[in-house]
Amino acid sequence: MRSLTASMLLWVALAGCEGVTPPTPVDAAAPDDVPVAPYVPQAAALRRLTQSQYANTVHDLFGDAVVVPRALEPDTSREGSRAIGASEASLSPRGAEQYQDAAYAIAEQVLRDATRRAANVSCTPTGPDDAACAATVVRALGRRAWRRPLTDDEVNALVAVAMRAATTLTDFHRGLEYALATMLQAPDFLYRVELGADAMAGERRFAGYELASRLSYFLWDGPPDDALLDAARDGALDTEAGLAREVDRMLAAPKARRGLRAFVTDWLQLANLDALSKDATVFPSFSADLGASAREEVLRNAEAFTFDAEGDFRDFFTTRETFVNRRLAALYGVQFPLRDAPVTDFVRVTLPTSVPRRGFLGSVAFLALEAHPVSTSPTLRGKFVRQQLLCYAIPAPPVNVNTAIPEPSPSLRTLRQRLERHMSERSCRSCHITLDPVGLSFERFDGIGRFRLDDNGAALDLSGNLDGRAYSDEMQLYAALHDHPLLPECVVQRLYRHAWANVETGDQRAEIVRLRTSFAASGYRLRTLLRDIVTGPAFRRARAPEATDGGAP
Amino acid sequence: MKSLDRRTVLKGVLGGAAVSIALPPLEAMMNGNGTAYAGGTAFPKRFGVYFWGNGVLPERWTPAGEGATWTPSPILMPLAALREHLTVVSGTRVATLNTRPHGSGPAGLLSGDNMTGEGFSRASIDQIIAGTIGGETRFRSLETGVQRSDESLSYAGPMQRNPTESDPHALFNRLFGEGFRAPGEMGMADPRVGLRRSVLDAVTAQGGRLRSRLGATDRQRLDEHLTAVRGIERQLQRLEENPPNLAACRRPEAPPAEVPDLLGRPDMPRRARLMADLLAMALACDLTRVFFHMYSQSVNNTLFGTAPAGHHQLTHDEPGDQPTVFSILQLIMGDLATFLTALRGVTEGDGTLLDHTLVLCTTDCSLGRTHALDEYPIVLAGGASAGMRRNLHLRARGENASKVSFSILQMMGVRATEFGVGPGRVTEGLGGLVA
Repeated sequence: MRSLTASMLLWVALAGCEGVTPPTPVDAAAPDDVPVAPYVPQAAALRRLTQSQYANTVHDLFGDAVVVPRALEPDTSREGSRAIGASEASLSPRGAEQYQDAAYAIAEQVLRDATRRAANVSCTPTGPDDAACAATVVRALGRRAWRRPLTDDEVNALVAVAMRAATTLTDFHRGLEYALATMLQAPDFLYRVELGADAMAGERRFAGYELASRLSYFLWDGPPDDALLDAARDGALDTEAGLAREVDRMLAAPKARRGLRAFVTDWLQLANLDALSKDATVFPSFSADLGASAREEVLRNAEAFTFDAEGDFRDFFTTRETFVNRRLAALYGVQFPLRDAPVTDFVRVTLPTSVPRRGFLGSVAFLALEAHPVSTSPTLRGKFVRQQLLCYAIPAPPVNVNTAIPEPSPSLRTLRQRLERHMSERSCRSCHITLDPVGLSFERFDGIGRFRLDDNGAALDLSGNLDGRAYSDEMQLYAALHDHPLLPECVVQRLYRHAWANVETGDQRAEIVRLRTSFAASGYRLRTLLRDIVTGPAFRRARAPEATDGGAP
Repeated sequence: MKSLDRRTVLKGVLGGAAVSIALPPLEAMMNGNGTAYAGGTAFPKRFGVYFWGNGVLPERWTPAGEGATWTPSPILMPLAALREHLTVVSGTRVATLNTRPHGSGPAGLLSGDNMTGEGFSRASIDQIIAGTIGGETRFRSLETGVQRSDESLSYAGPMQRNPTESDPHALFNRLFGEGFRAPGEMGMADPRVGLRRSVLDAVTAQGGRLRSRLGATDRQRLDEHLTAVRGIERQLQRLEENPPNLAACRRPEAPPAEVPDLLGRPDMPRRARLMADLLAMALACDLTRVFFHMYSQSVNNTLFGTAPAGHHQLTHDEPGDQPTVFSILQLIMGDLATFLTALRGVTEGDGTLLDHTLVLCTTDCSLGRTHALDEYPIVLAGGASAGMRRNLHLRARGENASKVSFSILQMMGVRATEFGVGPGRVTEGLGGLVA
């Protein structure tokens, strides 16, 4: 059963455990010259388009001005990955309704707007029942919507829908709306149908159109464009040189930023910023758009790092460069040059040296999200660093434990003092020893990410030790994290899950080792890592799915 | 433009306009004593879950006295006026493993099994019941909520979760917008309904072409998808039919597009009332017979009233006997009272909608601070027509909480011989609950 993944088994084993576990099975400390068993692929499941992929697909097909209804089945996250969720979850009845509503809303916009209609209807119908013209339109639309050429059967079925509607409504284009609404509700549109062709020994191999879809949804978070579909048709993707040419073209395209955004949003859990909620009486500067602002800051920085500067990915955690809008500028204490600009306007700034705010861990996105509505949470912040950035497995807290922490008092003024309880009780200590100290180093930033000098009037102790490297404050922690061997290791693991929609096991270790080795050799360039992922043979391989039962529905 | 004229002509059921024709007084459709429709059809039995996150304070939750001579506990005081409709079941324990704080409790009670990964491993009780009584209505079930969230604990199967609709305006549009027919309005023959049906047929046929190429797991997912698509066909069919003659059914007023926060805090009581009224009318109009109403999700950190911190944080951090958590729980029970009162306010024959609706009210653990699963908080409300005994404090110390779920299945007419698996499995209900 493919959903019972290795990390779930690991988690089960940890359920009654003592303490957290560094990432397995790919142990970063293992030297690369240890022989690695050959790569064994995992099965690939149908992946339903995520919300962003659905919107990107519609926009790429019909233009950015088409309004995509926002009420769509929510994405499911599994193992911290929407890609994995998209390959496991089933659609709810409500989701099917929403896809229907969206399909008609989009079809109307495409076929009732003169410009869009002209772009998609290449022939002039002789009347409502011009089946030949309908077939031409359906064939062209279908290739882009379903990311492959349609069979004659499929074209005929869609033309039949169009003709019935056109005849009933005595309007050719109105008829086409129903054909397009069919296309947009078909599983071939809503899922990435990448099944692969049978290869040796129970394996499948992706090629042609399926490989095009696999590439574009990973690199662009959207569908193949016409050039990529043509490359698929011509067999260009099935040669190393042709594949490399298309991949380089795709990475150079602005749409590659969309692909990166999808990954970073998932990896750094930025979607949670939508629901960011802070007590306005404790944080008067909180505004409802702060969460969205904070997310945009991180995404712009990630884009700049990956595609503009092509910098060392680890510097993302130490840099003074960032992007701010009015809200963030005020919170960060930097000048914002554009007077009265809308909050969607961002500018690049260099953070002042006077405040120890650097990189992602100094951003509102991290500091405000990993906190409570009224206060900081060293535990949440420490957990994020361990779990998301270093890939530690952290078990749920044990049950029947008194989790209360003491109120502030003259003898217990700082949160560090109050959290001592986590360290004095054995059942708490085993996990919190790895979480709280890291989180406490960020205590100079309050629950919304604003810099402060003290906590409750008391001086702050920001020192700690990150896996053997002692530090005295958050600035040194940023540096320790930057140099931590698990940091690049972990991002490789997260990207593997994002690309393959599977949790890696020991059988995939060879690919992870290959990727992390070349990642290091590139000086930790994310763009290179993305390229390595899609140009390697493993990206084109999958295990054949378990035998079908052959039964009727 | 020519097409505009055609559009106007066709503006029928899919265009939002509805033709209203007066019908005779609806009581004429009832039988003599008003307990059923004319023709002897009884009022439908409905079932729903009412869920809130973060547990309770058991010492101030459990009522004093047992059996019929019970006194509502301090937390339950806001429900005192409804006591004749309530049975408080105390003392049961969720017997499945407690490995997921806030997750194992609802999974055990509602599905009879612990979670696998991040979701339920089996269907939840609302969906089991929908399989028996959800087939006739426009919506097989509704999943609604008060806190802004699309999280959900309603599972049709292990990987098929029903997201929650927590926006009152969106819920109104789905239920009472285009496609709703109030009693007295006629079903309409709109040619576009037939065309939409042909689209669904084509989608299903296309799914069939794909299906044969899939492995077993994907095949099952696709089947679930296509079943959901077929559910739309039932909704189209309802558009063409005359709506059932239900005396209490009317098109409610549309809620505001936004329910503004108060000083950055959600206005939970107002949101709760809007959703309660919509849900009550959805049941009164027989749009559905099954619901899962998630007042607040597990681990929610909602800022209630004037509380100094979020709900979840307070359950862990507030020292002493947690007076703020206590007041939040009273507020939640007050909003539950709002909901039950809305059901009671709908007259059906010589009873009320509440008599014809069994509501399982519960949360995600007993004591929030420790995530304990003994003394599981359960209040059953309504359910008279399902044969539930009411106005009771049923003390069932140490009993498996799954027995409550099994009793509910029985009362709702589900032919089940067991509920749950492993330690959550039971083959009998809870004694004293069913009349």
